[in-house]
Amino acid sequence: MDAYYSSFIYLAVFVPLITGLMLLPMNTSAVNTTRSIALVGFVVPCIVSIWFAFGFYTSSASGEVYQALSSVDLGLEGLLGISLRFGLNGVSMPMFLLAGIVGLASGLYAIATAAHRLNLYLALLLIMLSGLMGTFASTDIFFFYFFHELALIPTFIMIGIWGGQGRRTAAMEMAVYLTLGAMISLVGLIMLYAQAPAIKTFNLIELKKYFQATGGATVLADNTFAMLLFGFGILVSLWPFHSWAPRGYAAAPSSAAMLHAGVLKKFGLYGLIQIAAPLLPIAGSQWIEVLIWLALGNIVVIGFITMAQRDLKLMVGYSSVMHMGYIFLGIATLSVAGMGGAILLMFAHGLSAALMFMLSTSVYRRTHSYDLNEMGGLGQQAPLLAGFFIAATMANIGLPGFANFWGEFTIFIALWNQYPWVVVPAATGVIISAVYGLRAVANIFFGEVSQSLKDYSKEHPITDIRLGERVPAIILLVALLAVGLYPKWMGDKLESALLKDYAKPQAVAPANVHVN
Amino acid sequence: MDWTKVFLSILLLPLVAALVNMLFLRRNGTTAALVSITAAFFSMVLAMIALFKCTERYSVSFPWLSLGDFQASMGIYYNPMTATMLFVVTFVGFLIHVFSVGYMSDDPAKGRFFTGLSIFMFSMLGIVLADNLIMMFVFWELVGFSSYMLIAHYWNTEEARSACKKAFIMNRIGDFGMLLGIAWTYWHYKTVNLQALEVFSSQPGFVIHGGIALLLICGFIGKSAQFPLHTWLPDAMAGPTPVSALIHAATMVAAGIYFLCRIFCILDAQTLEVIVWLGSGMVVYAGICAFAQTDIKKILAYSTLSQLGYMAAAVGLGFPGLALFHTTTHAFFKALLFLGSGSVIHACHHEQDIFKMGGLFKKMPLTTALFAIGTIALCGVMFTSGYFSKDAIIEVAYFKNTPVFILLILGAFLTAGYMGRLFYVAFLGSPKSQNSEHAHESGFFMLVSLVVLAGMSLIGGYTQGWAPFARQLVSGELDTVHHQIVSLQAEGLFSVLGILPWAIGFAIALLFYGIGAKKDALQNHLPSVYSFVNQKLWFDEIYGFYVRNVQQRFADILNFCDVVLVGGLLVRGTAGLVGVVGMMARSLHVGNIHIYVYWFLAGLIIYWSFAMGYF
Repeated sequence: MDAYYSSFIYLAVFVPLITGLMLLPMNTSAVNTTRSIALVGFVVPCIVSIWFAFGFYTSSASGEVYQALSSVDLGLEGLLGISLRFGLNGVSMPMFLLAGIVGLASGLYAIATAAHRLNLYLALLLIMLSGLMGTFASTDIFFFYFFHELALIPTFIMIGIWGGQGRRTAAMEMAVYLTLGAMISLVGLIMLYAQAPAIKTFNLIELKKYFQATGGATVLADNTFAMLLFGFGILVSLWPFHSWAPRGYAAAPSSAAMLHAGVLKKFGLYGLIQIAAPLLPIAGSQWIEVLIWLALGNIVVIGFITMAQRDLKLMVGYSSVMHMGYIFLGIATLSVAGMGGAILLMFAHGLSAALMFMLSTSVYRRTHSYDLNEMGGLGQQAPLLAGFFIAATMANIGLPGFANFWGEFTIFIALWNQYPWVVVPAATGVIISAVYGLRAVANIFFGEVSQSLKDYSKEHPITDIRLGERVPAIILLVALLAVGLYPKWMGDKLESALLKDYAKPQAVAPANVHVN
Repeated sequence: MDWTKVFLSILLLPLVAALVNMLFLRRNGTTAALVSITAAFFSMVLAMIALFKCTERYSVSFPWLSLGDFQASMGIYYNPMTATMLFVVTFVGFLIHVFSVGYMSDDPAKGRFFTGLSIFMFSMLGIVLADNLIMMFVFWELVGFSSYMLIAHYWNTEEARSACKKAFIMNRIGDFGMLLGIAWTYWHYKTVNLQALEVFSSQPGFVIHGGIALLLICGFIGKSAQFPLHTWLPDAMAGPTPVSALIHAATMVAAGIYFLCRIFCILDAQTLEVIVWLGSGMVVYAGICAFAQTDIKKILAYSTLSQLGYMAAAVGLGFPGLALFHTTTHAFFKALLFLGSGSVIHACHHEQDIFKMGGLFKKMPLTTALFAIGTIALCGVMFTSGYFSKDAIIEVAYFKNTPVFILLILGAFLTAGYMGRLFYVAFLGSPKSQNSEHAHESGFFMLVSLVVLAGMSLIGGYTQGWAPFARQLVSGELDTVHHQIVSLQAEGLFSVLGILPWAIGFAIALLFYGIGAKKDALQNHLPSVYSFVNQKLWFDEIYGFYVRNVQQRFADILNFCDVVLVGGLLVRGTAGLVGVVGMMARSLHVGNIHIYVYWFLAGLIIYWSFAMGYF
């Protein structure tokens, strides 16, 4: 059966890649053909991922939590132990689903826009999507990394060509940071490989078995974990390595920002949860204290910085950085509950961040401004957009009913068991995010129509949200609600995978780790 | 009967109505109203069936999320408290739905309004039914959201814009403490299930953790708008009047009290002491603040704060049943008063200043009579519902805590004072503006709700008539109070105390303000006192100062550091250093052969001098 299921993973990974490559030589005037081909590339992975998410069976007879495993030797297996290996477990399934859903939403949004050189724009987006699907489906850590790079490179190009104000500097800063982070984590991954000379493979499942059998409590393991933590951390905008993110996203075209902030950024977190922490639990516990302090920096320091933003897109960017702090805290517990909460929040944040980026662009299209102090009263002309924006804000600030709530709440509960004093500053985030989130809503949509909006709308009549914006927004909201209203369906699958990785390391972790 | 299905229907009907309205009936306000009212009606009928037929405690639970140590569930825990609250919420809720049909008839955004009301009903009923703290927290936040949404109904006004934000954030601050309390409860007591907590706490050797109790009551302080988070409630009057009646008077703010009663078993003596003082302090503070208000709804809002203080004091004194008793009667008469004021505001073309009304008893006799019933019930005039519930709390204070007793008596006196002022100025005398001149009696939908609520305000206090299961909530505590009073031989005292505060209050208000006054007498005769009262102890100013000058400054400083230090020096600095080295290197390669020869010679000299040992 695995071969049957795994063929669908190939579809999800390679259909976007092939359609993307097909679009590259297309004639720029053949807009409708371009759009139809792109649509196929966006829809297929989404359908596959949804089908997997619902058809996912939690445990098989052998107790193996990976499903749909497959492996293709590309000629490097004998030499280096590298093969194209795909498979999904309860941890990667939510991420795979996230990539599929956000991919479709950002794709539809991009199709509906009239970007110049649309074929190139969509092609790059499709290649990015292919890389994302591949990253989360890979069970080979080489390809896990390879697909990440495949998704990353189009981001820079897209910012460079279609970006907004200050795109050069933003793209450069982002490129430097992300390349640096990726390089460090690559070194870490290779160090992992080097520490298992007996099996000599990049196969994650084999590596997990090997490390769990041998323990790996060495200085080398310690340093490996540090490489992975900071490498991945830079990619996730761990404080104080975050400054690329808000400005980069502010400059990025919306679809690229949606896919990057929503999905690609989760690569680092996913790497920590799926690779670093289960392989090197003891080394991991040495770094917990550092991680907690930095994560609190993400929540509290960045939280306050977010409050100070007057530019909507920068605010959304900083808010997305801030929420990474909760996920890091969930990872810091090294427990099933904490990791589970982290994955739930990654899933939720991916959707809500994408939604926020998309809707802020929609606001910009109507007001031609990102300045929060200049806006006001947009709700009268665009009530439906206001409704969507409020829903997105509520999701973002963790209102129950949206998936974000379960992520944050689970993390707080899990964290309290080990570091109760960390929960106090961490939970101030729920107030901070409400302050800036609601202020943005009030400034943009409520109150009287501002002077600058009046002036602008005289020449550009304001319309409410269009179909091309509404459909992606609804897709994202439905996914947020599906997990938010009944989280169990995702939680059960997560638990089955996490119990395997984290039930035991928890017991051997040294007990003297605590934060003062 | 399958009670699970009944309770789930009570809970989910409003949600279905909200979804239908939101998805299909945004532009069709009249149909949306019908959908919401139907849902509220059937919820009410089912709640009444449960009230009379489901006469045993009932609980059911469904697992909702399981991740290792973390187990969350959703469930229903039905006991006398639940039965009473279910009835109150659905009954008052239904009447307010009916009233809204009349009140909102010419509002263009009716669809949105009724969606909001239905979401609110769903969330509130979730709190009432919840069997564990996590579920309660979920719905707790949701009522906060529905309150936000409904306060923001007139979203193009500046008032609503800041009021909705303020209400949500103030509630979030309370929820922050509650969240920590729940996390602590989860690990300390190893359960968040209310029934399990009740069972544990009755076991010998069980010690209540005071820290947990203090954190949990933060939720109550936010939701019930108690000190120091009370400032959002008066501002919340920016919402439509039916919303003020339903959410900001009868049900949501009372959810805080209900929460305290639900977790009463894990509140320790010190925490109860805190609650008593918060409550009785608020009784007097809000009572005084009400005197400086001229907006009819704000007077009632301060009155709500004051009455919530009575309820809190009852919980703090160890009588949660009496607190819920007062919650129930208060829901009837305060909803009546708010809807009555709504009827007035509607008639006076959205005029809310009482000094611009006057003479309404001629124009709207029925509304005036019903408002008068609400007023006497609120002031605790004999044999109305407020008399029974409020006096029971005062009696408890008499034998439990004398200073609190004095505060509560003072509160009763103040209540009659500000309500007397409101009634004499707004309803009696002659019209003081065009708007009140042209006032006319309200329509059927509005009046029918007022009549039913007035009836309940009169008879709701006779617990003999309550459903037996719900009566269990109060009968024991009422008997205890009665016996205490008898044993202290204080019946005579209380037959006097039941009359004096309101009689004096009404009389002084009449003498001081007079009938149909055009100007506020306090402002005329004692302007300094009036302005002091009007400042409300500067809470808004202090919070405003904090937000503008502390929080925002701090945020700006951090932002500056982030842009300059992290973004500028570290990142640009590193990039800049590389750039400078590159520039220097580039300046050497200018493509001019002479320069290269000089560089070659200079290098040769340096090399030579190094080789000769000059360096």
